[in-house]
Amino acid sequence: MKFASIRPITALISKELAIAALLLLGISFVVFMVLFLSPGDPFSSLLKDQTPSAAVGTAAQSEPGGAVPWYFQYLAWLGNIIRGDFGSSIRTGLPVLREVIRTGINTLYLTLGSLLVTLLIAVPIAVFSARRGLTATNWVLTMFTYVVSALPVFWLGYIVIYISMHRFGLFPLAFGSGAQTWSWVYFMLPVFVLGLSNGTMSEVVRHLREELSRVLSEEYICTARAKGASIWKHSFKEGFLIPITEIVAAKIPFILGGAVVVEQVFNWPGMGRMAWQAAQDRDYPLILGITLMAALFVRLGSLIQRAVHIMVNPRFARE
Amino acid sequence: MKRYRQHIIEFGNLSDVPFWKTAGPIDLVYISYGLLVVMLVFVSYVLGATGFLPHDPQEINLDLLMAAPNTQGHLLGTDFMGRDILSRLIIGIQAYFLPGLLAIALALSLGTCFGVLAGFWGGGLDTASTYVSNLLNSFPRLVLILLMVAAFKPDIYLVMTVVGVTNAPAVASLIKSKIQFLKQKNFIEAATALGLKNAVIIFKHILWHNCRSLLIIQATLGMAEVILIETSLSYLGFGVQEPTPSWGNMVQSGANYFMQGKFWPSTAPALAILLTIMGFHLLGDSLNNIMERKRDQ
Repeated sequence: MKFASIRPITALISKELAIAALLLLGISFVVFMVLFLSPGDPFSSLLKDQTPSAAVGTAAQSEPGGAVPWYFQYLAWLGNIIRGDFGSSIRTGLPVLREVIRTGINTLYLTLGSLLVTLLIAVPIAVFSARRGLTATNWVLTMFTYVVSALPVFWLGYIVIYISMHRFGLFPLAFGSGAQTWSWVYFMLPVFVLGLSNGTMSEVVRHLREELSRVLSEEYICTARAKGASIWKHSFKEGFLIPITEIVAAKIPFILGGAVVVEQVFNWPGMGRMAWQAAQDRDYPLILGITLMAALFVRLGSLIQRAVHIMVNPRFARE
Repeated sequence: MKRYRQHIIEFGNLSDVPFWKTAGPIDLVYISYGLLVVMLVFVSYVLGATGFLPHDPQEINLDLLMAAPNTQGHLLGTDFMGRDILSRLIIGIQAYFLPGLLAIALALSLGTCFGVLAGFWGGGLDTASTYVSNLLNSFPRLVLILLMVAAFKPDIYLVMTVVGVTNAPAVASLIKSKIQFLKQKNFIEAATALGLKNAVIIFKHILWHNCRSLLIIQATLGMAEVILIETSLSYLGFGVQEPTPSWGNMVQSGANYFMQGKFWPSTAPALAILLTIMGFHLLGDSLNNIMERKRDQ
């Protein structure tokens, strides 16, 4: 790639970065408004069973500036967030940012691994049915993707645990302990379960198959075929790369949502499990941090998707 | 004048060919399966509402805990409290019906509003609605619901409001691209030239004549989404609460007995979820295929 063709692309990508920053600002505002409008406050739910009277609670609550208008509160809160100070968890007292990063890495392993599993299963099916049309094998495989996308993910998780316990003698372990010889197999299980049944497989197959078969019926593919050139090479960018990045970026939120459930089933110490715990305890700072971090993941995914789009076809940037 | 209006209606209504003429046989099979599922959902809603059930869904029978299917007139067996699973399955659809309709109505109406604003007028409105859509799409739905549950209270209608609002961007982008496609056609220009009001053009010629099948498809997919979300939430303990049956909390409570080898109490509702969601997905997808093929012609 010549430098002359790279320069406008860097400009376009920095524009995308600016848009992403604006969106993150909006996200923080939405999250702040949820916090601001919520009727209960963390103090009352924390102190509910512990103090004899409500007086202690109100005293603790009104301490940091009672009558500050909401936009000052938002700006102060935002300033803290930008400095990396997400507050500390009400339940454990640990700083939120460090906790979220610690568990976020585990969630990242889980989601990226399961994304890989989904793609490894879905892409061959889609490519074959785009090339060969609807055959009996393709139909069975496509139905399979519909079935696994419609299964409740925790039910599949329980079945997998049951089979692994009774057939292979593997037991649920705490993440990271290496007491058993085959323990790494057990750590692969959540990845497979989430990859199979995160509800996105049928859509990946559908989207990729449609786009690829549309591109394969274009005239330039016909020309390539007549010349004896590689069809795969000519259809790769438009028929394969763009649809895959599109659908993956669109489905990252769903996979993160599925991760909440799968982490719960398999005791995976990730962000989703912590979000669940925080929702139970009404631990606001923690769940705010998790929501912001999850939104950051999603934005990062769609940033990569836009970047790939622009690299492949700079005309996309004008839309 | 009347003749021209007729003309507009005809040309605006390119999709007037009945769908079974353009559909392949396999699409027809999918569609009839999907319609069967929709019908079964309605029938079981009515059965549950009128109390026309094989057993009392709340009747506890301690002599018959987790019975296998087809014992003593319990066609699908009993659950961990001896309650009849079939009756609970039928009445469990009520947990989704009204909240699901709320979510779908919210998603469709908000999505249509944003889509029309962005597609018909464009410009700054387009930018604004794209921004809002991207904003809503950035939140993983389950995490956002957990945030709402933590901030407010675990209530199924609140959850469904969140689901509806977060589904709106998908509808909006579909409507927007449909309108941008339609605006290249002559009939909207002709309608404007005839002096029809914007409201008439939008509601009659765009939404009613050209977008209604798209909206129906989104509604079916939305219902599937609602069932899956409620199932996940039931597992996490924020869904419909226990004495009231929902498919999600039936799977969840049955799954506790999985390790004892009692699969049935959890598998029956899981299969119900599977078959229903597959029905909605197949219906939506094959209707979508047919529409796309029609547009290409």
